Amino acid sequence: MTFLFIFAGLVVFLLSLLVWALRGPRRNAQKQPDSLSLDDLSRRHIIFLPQIRQILAPQDFSFLASRGSPKLAHRVRKERRGIALAYLAAVQADFRKLLKLARLVTLLSPEVVAVQEFERLRLSCEFSLRYQWVRARLILGPTPLSQLDGLTCIVSGLAVRLESAITELGERAALASELASSPHGHGVNLE
Amino acid sequence: MAVPLAHFQQLLWALNAAVGFVLAALLVLRKNDRVYPAFSFYIFLTLAQAALLFLIYRRWGFSSTLAWPVAWTSQAIVMCARALAVAEVCRHLLSRYAGVWALAWRLLLTSAVLVFLFSLLAMRKGWFSVLTIAQLGLELAIAVAIVGLLLFAKFYDVIPTQPLRSLAIGLCLYSCFSVLNNTVWERFLDQYDALWNLLGMLAFLASLLLWIVALRVPSPAPTREELLLPGSVYPSLSPQINLRLHLLNKQLSQFWNVGESEL
Repeated sequence: MTFLFIFAGLVVFLLSLLVWALRGPRRNAQKQPDSLSLDDLSRRHIIFLPQIRQILAPQDFSFLASRGSPKLAHRVRKERRGIALAYLAAVQADFRKLLKLARLVTLLSPEVVAVQEFERLRLSCEFSLRYQWVRARLILGPTPLSQLDGLTCIVSGLAVRLESAITELGERAALASELASSPHGHGVNLE
Repeated sequence: MAVPLAHFQQLLWALNAAVGFVLAALLVLRKNDRVYPAFSFYIFLTLAQAALLFLIYRRWGFSSTLAWPVAWTSQAIVMCARALAVAEVCRHLLSRYAGVWALAWRLLLTSAVLVFLFSLLAMRKGWFSVLTIAQLGLELAIAVAIVGLLLFAKFYDVIPTQPLRSLAIGLCLYSCFSVLNNTVWERFLDQYDALWNLLGMLAFLASLLLWIVALRVPSPAPTREELLLPGSVYPSLSPQINLRLHLLNKQLSQFWNVGESEL
């Protein structure tokens, strides 16, 4: 009977993976812009991090609660939380853009290194988990500044990695012409 | 004399053969056999197997001494052809991208071999026959390879063409069903024997229909290899990336400390 459970479980797991692999892009993934540009890569979210930290600082809310009213503090907290969530979504969009470009570079490379690819896979999984965790914490509870910092590091790391890749490619025009011949368009515009 | 096949089974067998023949005809008429030679070879082999077994069962009976070895030998040949068809599907989907393909085929082959060995080891202690174990292991390996292939494609945003997608789904579903069928059959051999062939044929019929729909029109020829970036680009990135990641993290932590003191 054990065999039956083991193999039935394996089959169910494989079928679930099959369905997931065949599924189209997620709704929020479709929201991201169709084109990527190097300008986008240079405008990293990191420059907004101090402001985001500032709006989530507990001192502000304490001050408002003491000088204003708890209602005001609550309202401001709610608004600021909305801003932080928007920032988080922007971080995620940045991450996806970078990932998309990284995949394209990999696809068009004659040789790829498994370690590099697994690292990116690990980064993606790590980012997804952290993103969901931070988002949940933002919505439900106290502000997770340290997690937000960690998330930012992941995106920034990937940005630097891709920046290196683009630098290595040399002439931007040459890269653009090669990428333009990529399959399905991939929506990349390096002009 | 042989036990006569159940009437429904005979009907289903005939239907399977007819649908298989339609698929084979489509493969030739639409020139899809040139695009998918290994898959076409597999379909032709299944037809040949069905014809051979039909003749043997009819002449010598289902439980004759000749039927058993011929059935299993032909099954082994057909399964090898299936494995080749799967390899062809993988090659069609990813071989355009030299680097990714080099990584993918090694990983997929390793996974398939490991799963095959796992099946052999896991079932060795049971009451399974060697042939069933081998078949089950190979079917599971095929399913793993196809799922792995589609995961690769998803990760790298490679969109499979509709025929390729249908071929992969059909091969995977049939393999998954075979694994379940074989496992259950071995566990409840006595009660399940009559149903085993029937369900197997139904699953294969479903796959055949899926493939017919996909291959009713000529499939696009495989795309030539993509224009690739210079070979030195990718391998030269690693040390730079590590160094710059380290520097950036350092900058970030300093920046964070400064930011924190200012708050």
